[in-house]
Amino acid sequence: MIISETCRQALKDIGVSPERMSLEWVSAAEAPRFVELITNYVSSIKSLGPLGSADGEGGGDLVQRHLRAGVKAASAVKVRTALGKLAKDMHKSGDYDPQIISAGVAKKVLPAFRQERLSQEIQLCLAEHGPCDMDSLCQETGGTREEADKILGTLSKKGLLKEEGAIWTLV
Amino acid sequence: MTTEGFNPRILGFLCHWCCYSAADAAGVSRYQYPSNIRVIRVMCTGRIDVRFILEAFKCGADGVFTGG
Repeated sequence: MIISETCRQALKDIGVSPERMSLEWVSAAEAPRFVELITNYVSSIKSLGPLGSADGEGGGDLVQRHLRAGVKAASAVKVRTALGKLAKDMHKSGDYDPQIISAGVAKKVLPAFRQERLSQEIQLCLAEHGPCDMDSLCQETGGTREEADKILGTLSKKGLLKEEGAIWTLV
Repeated sequence: MTTEGFNPRILGFLCHWCCYSAADAAGVSRYQYPSNIRVIRVMCTGRIDVRFILEAFKCGADGVFTGG
């Protein structure tokens, strides 16, 4: 449940409609129910259209880069520890209400995921397009100026990026 | 791109003990269901990770169906 909620919120952050992912329970004896679920699901995806073309999805290439950064972010240590901690807290409280899970994910896991994704994406962006200024980076990654500023600061401290007259380049 | 004639590629993560058996039973009893779904059998739905699902979308899936 935590994983599925994280997925939904991560997809939203990436700019993919969360409806593209579904989690359902079917017992081994419920073949007709399985058929019904699959049929409904396929028709709902058909109405959404191909990946990147539904409402709020910014076109194939952009989504593709968001996803590439997202995959890297989802493997990041920070995000995984956040998930583990949340699972531990939920276990301790013993309350698995969907709303509580959703709030927990939004508060504890998503900020780490978003920061990690933006950081990965800035690097991907610079590698693809060469040197960029901050505004175009914000536009490409979908982050705010403050977020980008903070991440660019950390990355340049690590010696991965350098700034020359407000233009950023990979080292 | 038009949505007419659009055949979505859907990746299904099905639990070996529940949904996969249901899919199997559906096949045996000859129920018709759309053939858009490509199935990956996992031993338990708990095995599935955020990374798997994002990776599926990255590799060009239009939807991911998880069945437990």
